Order: sequence, then structure tokens, then C-alpha cells
Amino acid sequence: MNKILVWDLPVRLGHWLMVAGFALAWVTGESERWRLVHVFAGSTVMAVAAYRLLWGLIGSRHARFADFVRGPVQALGYLRQLLHRSPPHYTGHNPAAGWAILLLLALALASGASGWATYQELGGDWIEEAHELFAGLMLIIVGVHLLGVLLGSVAHRENLVWSMVTGRKQGRPEEALTRPGLLAALSMLAWTGLAVWWLAR
Amino acid sequence: MNVPLLPMLLLAGAATAWSATPRELAQSYTAEASRLIPGFQGSAQRGAEFYARRFAVSSHLPACSACHTDSPARIGRHAVTGKTIQPLSPSAVATRFSDPAKVEKWFRRNCTEVLGRECSAAEKADFIAFATEGT
Repeated sequence: MNKILVWDLPVRLGHWLMVAGFALAWVTGESERWRLVHVFAGSTVMAVAAYRLLWGLIGSRHARFADFVRGPVQALGYLRQLLHRSPPHYTGHNPAAGWAILLLLALALASGASGWATYQELGGDWIEEAHELFAGLMLIIVGVHLLGVLLGSVAHRENLVWSMVTGRKQGRPEEALTRPGLLAALSMLAWTGLAVWWLAR
Repeated sequence: MNVPLLPMLLLAGAATAWSATPRELAQSYTAEASRLIPGFQGSAQRGAEFYARRFAVSSHLPACSACHTDSPARIGRHAVTGKTIQPLSPSAVATRFSDPAKVEKWFRRNCTEVLGRECSAAEKADFIAFATEGT
């Protein structure tokens, strides 16, 4: 197998924006001094997650949900094989990663929406508590995701973190993306900027 | 009193949306404080001094009054975001100091940031005595 382009620019840029946004939002979550930073960081996570939903429908080959979302039986089967150190190699996301991605996107939107409602004082104390619950769950899924990336990287002798930087991963030549997605990445940045400006008002 | 009332209130507050009156909350903080300071009684006067004191640990949030104005009965303004903050006084907002878990959460957050440490039970009892004065 060769190194081919698997992750397009919106997927990679969106991934690292969510990483930075979530990390920043987490460390500023207890502080009033950094409340604005928290709101901007959380809004970024939410805006990117919303774009990713659309990109999962109309995006490039390996970005589409249809390419990597599988049933729970397949996801559990993959995890079992991963524990026995004989997981099959997927060019795109494996079935377990697919579930982590769906959960992370759902929790990003849920924590973002409840955080926004708290900031705009649209609801009672329960929305604030729901926000903390969603963010806490998201941290747990982030941990599971990181563990999966570590195990997958070892099992396939493939640096999956670096793949998310360069977009290049093991795969057959015919599975390679033909375009890097520069325009889509720019439109994602424009959307994120606009959405964050609106959400953080 | 031997029963640790405040932890029990907090436990109940976490499990259900426990509601208490500001007086009950102040009493449980007073009971906790009196274990360290025999004969402790909450004082609105000390609470007022505490409320106005410039701790200056944070340049943006030097004192309670930086966001909550000079009076807990008035509408406040967040010193960083500019968002309005509903008054702290139960006379203005009836639900203030009625949820032990919420009160503990915001004392913990705001004391850590404004004082650079958590508040003592005595400070909390004084604070509530001041904020509920005249109600």
C-alpha cells in the first residue's frame, strides 16, 4: 500500500480547530476573567461541528458519513479485533472511529447550544447544568478517541495523528482524493467566522 | 451541632433541586463556621466590608462590586463581557440563595477568582447576611 491523500483540508483544518477550541473552552470554563475566550472557543467548536455535518453529506469521499458510519455490531467487532491486535485496516475512518466522530459532533452541538443559551440567559439553571454535563461527556469521548488513535496507530504501524496533519495515509492509489479541498476549507473558515461572530454577541 | 448540615444540604441539592431559604443557608454556614470560631454569628456589617473590599488579585475582577455594583440589590454588569447580572438580593430576585448547590458553585468559582482562594464558611455567612439585609 502507498501513502495517498485521504483527509481533505476541511476535515483536517476542522479537526484541529475543534481540538484547539475544545481545549481552550475546557481550561477557561471555570473563569469569569476568561469568559469571552470561553465563548469564542466554544462557538468555534459548535460552528465547525455544524459545517462538518454538511460536509459529511456533500464532502469528499472519505469525509462522507456514508463512507464510515456503520452499525454498532461492526463497531464492536472492530473493537474486539483491535483488542486482539488484529484489526482490519480501513483507508478512511474505521467503524469504531465513526461512532466516536458522531458522538463528538453531537456533543459539540449539544454543549455549544446549551452554552449559547446559558450565555444569552434563555433558560434556567438546568441549561447551565446540561452544558456542564455535555462538556464532561465530550471530554470522556475525547479520551476514548485518543485511546483508539493510539491503539490503531500501534496496530497498523501508522502515525494517525500525523495523518490528520498531512492528510496522507496508507491506502490503494484508486482510493486517493484528487482534490485537496481548498475552496471548501476557505468556505468553512468564512462560515466559522460568521457563526462565531453571531453566536458570541 | 454534630450533624454536618451543610454537606447534607449539598448532597440533597445535588440529588434533587433542593430548595432552602436564605436564612437556612446562612444558618448552615454559621453552624459550619462556629466549629472553628466558637460563638460565631453572621454579620451584615462584615459582609458589607467583604463585598466592597478590593482584593485586587485579578485586575479585571478586583472585588465583588466590580460586577455586582455597590449594592447587591442593583442589577450588575459583567466586567469582562458587559452582560447584565440579575441582583443578588432575594428582595429583588426571589430565587437567590435558595439552591445550596448553586450557591456553593458560585462561591467556589467567584471566590477562587476574586480572592485567589475559596471563601470560608464565616465569609459566606456574612455575605448572605449582607445580601439578604432588609428582606
